[in-house]
Amino acid sequence: MVELINGITQSFLLLLLAPLVSGVVKVTKARLQNRRGPGVFQVYFDLFKLLRKDSVISPTVSWIFFAAPMIYLGTVLAAAALIPVLVSAAGEKYGIGDLFVLLYLLAAGRFFLALASLDAGSSFGGMGGSREMFIAMLVEPVIILTLLTVALRASGSGLALMAATAAGTPFSLPYVFAAIAFLMVLLAETGRIPVDNPDTHLELTMIHEGMVLEYSGRHLGLIFWASSVKQTVMILLFVLFFLPWPVTAAPMNLVAIGVKTLGVAVLLGCVETSTNKMRLFRVPGFMAVGGLLSLLALVAQ
Amino acid sequence: MVAENSFWVMLVFLIMGAVAPLFIRKNDKVLNWIAHGLAALGCGAAVLCAITVLLQGKFVVQLPLLLPFGTLTVGMDPLSAFFLLLVGAVGCMVSIFAIGYSTEYFHKRFPAMAGFYNLFLLSMILVLAARHVAAFIIAWELMAVVSFLLVNHEYEKHEINRAAFIYIVMTHVGTAFLFIAFFLLARAAGNMDFALLGQGLDAATRNIIFVCVLLGFGVKAGMVPLHVWLPKAHPAAPSHVSALMSGVMIKTAVYGLSRFLLDFLGNGPAWWGGLILGCAAISALLGVLYALMENDMKRLLAYSSVENISLILMGIGAAVLLTSKGQPGLAALAWAAAFYHAFNHALFKSLLFMGAGAVVQAAHIRDIEHLGGLIKKMPYTAFWFLCGVLAISALPPFNGFVSEWLLFQSLLVLPQAVSGLSAKVAAALLIAVLGLTGALVACCFVKVFGVSFLAKHRSEHAQQAREVSKLMLLPMGLLSVACLTLGIAPQIMLEILKETLGGFRGLNVHVLSTGWYQIAVTQNAAVNNSQLSMPVVLLLMGIGIAAGLLLYRICGKPGIVFGETWTCGIVPNARMEYTGTGFSKPVRMAFRAVLRPHRSLLVNEGNRASAYFGRSLSYEVGITDIFGRAYQPINSAMLLLARYVKKIQSGSVQLYIGYIMAITVLVLIWNS
Repeated sequence: MVELINGITQSFLLLLLAPLVSGVVKVTKARLQNRRGPGVFQVYFDLFKLLRKDSVISPTVSWIFFAAPMIYLGTVLAAAALIPVLVSAAGEKYGIGDLFVLLYLLAAGRFFLALASLDAGSSFGGMGGSREMFIAMLVEPVIILTLLTVALRASGSGLALMAATAAGTPFSLPYVFAAIAFLMVLLAETGRIPVDNPDTHLELTMIHEGMVLEYSGRHLGLIFWASSVKQTVMILLFVLFFLPWPVTAAPMNLVAIGVKTLGVAVLLGCVETSTNKMRLFRVPGFMAVGGLLSLLALVAQ
Repeated sequence: MVAENSFWVMLVFLIMGAVAPLFIRKNDKVLNWIAHGLAALGCGAAVLCAITVLLQGKFVVQLPLLLPFGTLTVGMDPLSAFFLLLVGAVGCMVSIFAIGYSTEYFHKRFPAMAGFYNLFLLSMILVLAARHVAAFIIAWELMAVVSFLLVNHEYEKHEINRAAFIYIVMTHVGTAFLFIAFFLLARAAGNMDFALLGQGLDAATRNIIFVCVLLGFGVKAGMVPLHVWLPKAHPAAPSHVSALMSGVMIKTAVYGLSRFLLDFLGNGPAWWGGLILGCAAISALLGVLYALMENDMKRLLAYSSVENISLILMGIGAAVLLTSKGQPGLAALAWAAAFYHAFNHALFKSLLFMGAGAVVQAAHIRDIEHLGGLIKKMPYTAFWFLCGVLAISALPPFNGFVSEWLLFQSLLVLPQAVSGLSAKVAAALLIAVLGLTGALVACCFVKVFGVSFLAKHRSEHAQQAREVSKLMLLPMGLLSVACLTLGIAPQIMLEILKETLGGFRGLNVHVLSTGWYQIAVTQNAAVNNSQLSMPVVLLLMGIGIAAGLLLYRICGKPGIVFGETWTCGIVPNARMEYTGTGFSKPVRMAFRAVLRPHRSLLVNEGNRASAYFGRSLSYEVGITDIFGRAYQPINSAMLLLARYVKKIQSGSVQLYIGYIMAITVLVLIWNS
């Protein structure tokens, strides 16, 4: 019960803090591109602006279109409650979080967004939905293989158990391979540059942005917010499993996790500035490299 | 006593349903209610029987019927009862659906269809109840023949005729292998009673039997490459029969395989498990890929059955492997995952086939590219179909997720259980394949639901669609509720599975612990410690969605303005929508080595006068059916053989009498 309340608290904290992480990525990118760019808190202002606006919506849509942003945010928040940050502090062996629950919750949100992309009946939405599902299809096996390195050692798929195991042997050789693979997955899953471009408004290169092209106003605000939380969840997974050092007592540990999360956000900004977007049909090769690296990690184990 | 009585009541109902059409030949409307009503009652009795057997234990009845092979025994043990529960629950729902759906078939040889429908249910139940080799084979053949007749109901149509023919040929190839397996078993045991089978087997015979059984039941289950009949035959049948065939009939193959592996053959060598796992992994991937490429709704669902049956086989393979490695607890986990998925698949696949049937009845087309916008015309059907789609895509909080989770857990222990580096890597890859399959299934069903139910209608047919009758909506709704219930409260099914699997040696069901809010895999050897609490997941999702609604309204009353999507000044129409073929294109390109897509673009066919104006385009895209080609050599070999056989088949009676004469003389000489 305590754990459940901790989980809910945690997902609300993530809801509040996630736009900050997105802001840090944006600022990093701006600085590296010699721009002054917006401030760190600009994402909050944008969300606030969107949440006050009316929506313009195609008359073709059904209830799926209205429900999808809520379900997307709902599943992402549920996933956020499972990450063993505050949850593991309750000290239970298993924790409520399970790796496959987390992955399939994220899949459920994506499923509804992809349905909504087809609902308005425009080609761009459908194209975005199709490509998003395609990339999800490539990411899913690799993310499982990567985290298998941790899960096999932990003998189970409980997230708290896995985090504790990972903290036991930080930066061992298999984990380094798996970490690189996970970073690639992270880029693909959060729609970052070598795979997708979060800032583009050129129709033919959009994937995630194309999928939500028909949304405006409050609905769009909710989707942006949920995407931001999802990105933070993925970064947190990376931090917990592959950057577990230094492990300290509870309050300091939280600070350390926060600092490391922002560090990974800066890293994402750097990666995004230093590479260019690849063609859609290059992505399978990119993810295959990730898959091979995680297999290598498994062999090294 | 209750179990036995309800068993006989069930048989009486179904037999009455099967003979009713002989007496009510004129009035299809009355017959519809009576025949399908009796089927529903029979299935209800089956559920009762199954539950009592699971609670009170098995029963066996010696029938006073003498076959030439010994006394005939019929009975139910927990394993049969589990599958009987599946047949009964789904059969009951499908029978209610059939009352509404069959109006399509009035005056189209309806009495035959109604009678065979009851007979089909009866034969599946007899397969489960048979406790004697001969009885099993007879029931199995009855099931094959009756389902063939149902598939072939509209035999005027060439493609249906062809599909039914391929089905009957393939299923008999399977039966031939089963004959060999049963013959070897019965010879070793010296008896044909199920209780005695499995005695006196040596290792080589056991291996032969295993391969035969895998092939024999693999045909019925639709395992790649033996699946070729399935995507043809299932869509050809009337939709309620498709629901039964895809949801239930292929589970009888799972039952047969489990009966052999758990009961007759016992512990096998590790390669049995490896072989099943390998076949299952390939067939899961290919099944879902072909499903994704398909645009015919029912054929797509049939291919998806190939994929789902492979997930069940994956569980069985893992179980066999783990048993051979001396892991009784984890083997029980894997069996539980397989059976859980079998039950789930029966629920949501019959739900989806009923949804497809409703769409076919309303719009009279099955091609999703010509549907669209049905969510507004048929809101209830759309909602129940969506539930089925979510369940089959293994999304929480539906039942598909729970069985997928159990399957993940049982595969997660494989890399540690097997020895050798390549085996370990293969086991890890298997988990990745399962993940890949899950993502492809989600992609496939986004396509099905999005293209056929959402956006604008793509044809006149779709525009004229109307909501179907309540009799068809009711069973779909009940099945959706069942899918959700088994998703939120997996404890129910796990308790049933503990009863089902508890009696078999080599399995330790105590590894599956159930609490009031969670299920857990616990093992003191610390090989797998995971837990899943679906109510918590549901609660968290609910809170998250509530938070979304709150944020939506936090800045005052939301205003919504409706405006058409900007399409450069043209009024948006259905031809601008993304098509199903387009939706699956990235996957088609990524897997082009397997799918071998081909396309042809014809510009301006034969009309050179209008080279710059009003050009006509024709675009064709498709994939190559590699399995159709793989069967080609066998096909031509059979035809060649038939040509030789034709030489002794002159058609004149005298010659045949001559043959009989010659054979008799030969036999006499042989015996003397």
